[in-house]
Amino acid sequence: MRNSEKNKKFSGTGGKMISRRGFLKGVGALGLGLAAASSLGKVASAQPKGPVKLSLWTWENPQQRPWIHKRVKMFMEKNKGVQVDFQWFTFTDLGKKVSVGYATGTAPEGFSTGTWLMPTWLTRNMIAPMDVKKLGYSSLQAFIDDYPKAFIASAVKGGKVYGYPIYFYGFINYLNTNHFKEAGLDPVRDQPKTWEELGEVAKKLAIKKGTKFERQGFKFAMHAAMWTMVQFNPILHQCGGSWFDKDGKCTLNSQAGVRAMTIRASIIRKYGAEDPADTIATSPLPMMDFLKEKTAMFSTHQIPPAAVKSQNEKMAAEEYYRPVQMPGVDPNKRYPSAYGFNFVINVNASKEKQEVLHDLYQFIMSDLIDCWKDTQPFTPARKSGWADDPQVKGFPHLDEIIKARDNGVFLPETPIYNELADIIHQAVQRVTLDNADIKRTLDEAAAQVDKASEEFKTKKS
Amino acid sequence: MITIGRSQVSISPWKLSYGSRIQFWGILFILPTILFFMVFKYGPMGWAIYLSFTGYDIVTEPKYIGLNNYISIFQDPMFLQALNNTLVYIVGSTIAITVLGLGLALIINTGIRGARFFMSSMFLTNIMPILAVCLVWRFLFHPHGLVNQLLAPFGLGRIDWLTNSNLALPAIIIVTAWRFAPYFMVVFLAGLLAVPKEIYEAADIDGATWVSRFFRITLPMISPIVFFVIVVSALLCARIFLMPFIITGGGPGGATRVLSMLIYETGFSYLKMGRAAAISVVLFLIMMCFTIIQIRLFSKGEEH
Repeated sequence: MRNSEKNKKFSGTGGKMISRRGFLKGVGALGLGLAAASSLGKVASAQPKGPVKLSLWTWENPQQRPWIHKRVKMFMEKNKGVQVDFQWFTFTDLGKKVSVGYATGTAPEGFSTGTWLMPTWLTRNMIAPMDVKKLGYSSLQAFIDDYPKAFIASAVKGGKVYGYPIYFYGFINYLNTNHFKEAGLDPVRDQPKTWEELGEVAKKLAIKKGTKFERQGFKFAMHAAMWTMVQFNPILHQCGGSWFDKDGKCTLNSQAGVRAMTIRASIIRKYGAEDPADTIATSPLPMMDFLKEKTAMFSTHQIPPAAVKSQNEKMAAEEYYRPVQMPGVDPNKRYPSAYGFNFVINVNASKEKQEVLHDLYQFIMSDLIDCWKDTQPFTPARKSGWADDPQVKGFPHLDEIIKARDNGVFLPETPIYNELADIIHQAVQRVTLDNADIKRTLDEAAAQVDKASEEFKTKKS
Repeated sequence: MITIGRSQVSISPWKLSYGSRIQFWGILFILPTILFFMVFKYGPMGWAIYLSFTGYDIVTEPKYIGLNNYISIFQDPMFLQALNNTLVYIVGSTIAITVLGLGLALIINTGIRGARFFMSSMFLTNIMPILAVCLVWRFLFHPHGLVNQLLAPFGLGRIDWLTNSNLALPAIIIVTAWRFAPYFMVVFLAGLLAVPKEIYEAADIDGATWVSRFFRITLPMISPIVFFVIVVSALLCARIFLMPFIITGGGPGGATRVLSMLIYETGFSYLKMGRAAAISVVLFLIMMCFTIIQIRLFSKGEEH
């Protein structure tokens, strides 16, 4: 009562001069009043049940992101009661943004993730299991049968599905067919089937003047840890190696690991067909050396025709490039790393929103022909429902692309994936750029990996 | 109004003495700033120190683990390499910035023709966007880039600036000196202009050489400025992040990975925020050392 009487004076209604004290008290009261009004407003606005609002984050890609966005808009048009806040981030930033989102309580209800990060989310119980029936499958087995084995390795745990697949692909070896012909080689018959053959062919394709390569025979990517992992992983498996033993100890420095790293370095050390320091590749365009014809062969995911055209119109018009399978240690076991992207659901999302996300994800992936048309040659993860369509079949060398996806091995499943990738990337740099001793480098790397995974081993035990 | 026992003691500001009222209003006016610093600076700093004693993966609750993070990082070769890189980088860059900045200031101070234009154009390196600077230098340091082409006539063969682990950090130091030396050149120039001309005139009469003039007059007279530049540039370099991040990504083999990069990667990429906080505290202590040196030097300078 006293306050309200005073407030009258402060407002000037009492006809008195406003004192300094009065002014400040008035400002304070006004502030408190506004704060109270705004908080009441929030409560009031939260009471009536409105549309379901949820956020979906995904990665940026010139083809894939616009297509997903298009499908999200279509879903909202069909479901007026759903509002999706669609946001996207660069490929490398998405995981970090999501992590920080969880820490600050601002993580999206749904997000897409690289399949290699699935163990990171799962170890920390950050994502919710999904109902395969709500995703259109009659049973878990029907779901498993519809995807490549490498995908299932990352998305299905303990009989539960944690990721709904969007894209999944394996690395392939792109050849510049003109370079092959110039060197008197046939791109199909002489395609390297083993790593030794790759070295020999690369040697024939390379053109060197002094210390400078006019053309490198083959290039391993050196620009990012993720690419180092994708390229080294199958060689390690082909040599009979593994990243960890059953107790979680890193076995990278095993005999198989040393052999794999020797193969990895052989194009430089043994065949002299590659210069790891000479590259114009960047994270947005890792295949730049190939597109600018600075290397005759390059191991990569599918290259969209638009990307070829943007960098080398002649190459795009004359189509003198083609993908073949990656080499193997055994010519009959040629396989790459396979990886892709999943939709997942934030474990903290309400049940209602989780239900809507199931519908949204199923809707986005319900028209795979549309997906292919907009984002070719990135292969949808699902085996059925698109590859036999005449509109898809006409794409050059699609069989090679699908074969790589289906035969690919998955990246190491570990909650310290990013740390492991950085350690391997550094090891590869030391071996290839500094000519470091392979065994000693791998011993050091394995010790670092063990140190990094220590806390998870402790938790497990 | 505060109640003590049964009596009420009024401490209303309106009944304070004049001096106390002035103090009260003073505190009131700086309160927003104090609050700002508490919330956005000291609060996070305190929180980071607390986190350094916890195992915290960003997602789950922090768990107190005592000094484990500190013990662990000092056994980690990745941290030791980053610490070594940071110290080498600080020392190397500080020397390069100081020598180059002072050299440029001495040249301009001679009053050569076009000094103003020279000074302005040199200063441009400091205001160019860091991203553009780093990308340009990446091309310049390419094995077949401009730097190697310019060095070729001197009989120097191909130098792998950014991909040789012995040269990558010196290459980053070169870029740092190129960017920041002109800024400190202006600081040195201000110091040089403050040296009384009469002293030089007297030295000339005594037949002093250029070298003795520099070491016996110029350097002693601008020594506070030199110390200032050394300490400030060392502090600047201790926080470096973008240059190695963009130019080399910390490679090759971790040769250019500095502490600030390791903090970022450990916290946001490896999700080991407690460990990242411990590394931050170590970096904070390094910077604190430089700050204490700076404060002591300045207080001595003032006494002088």
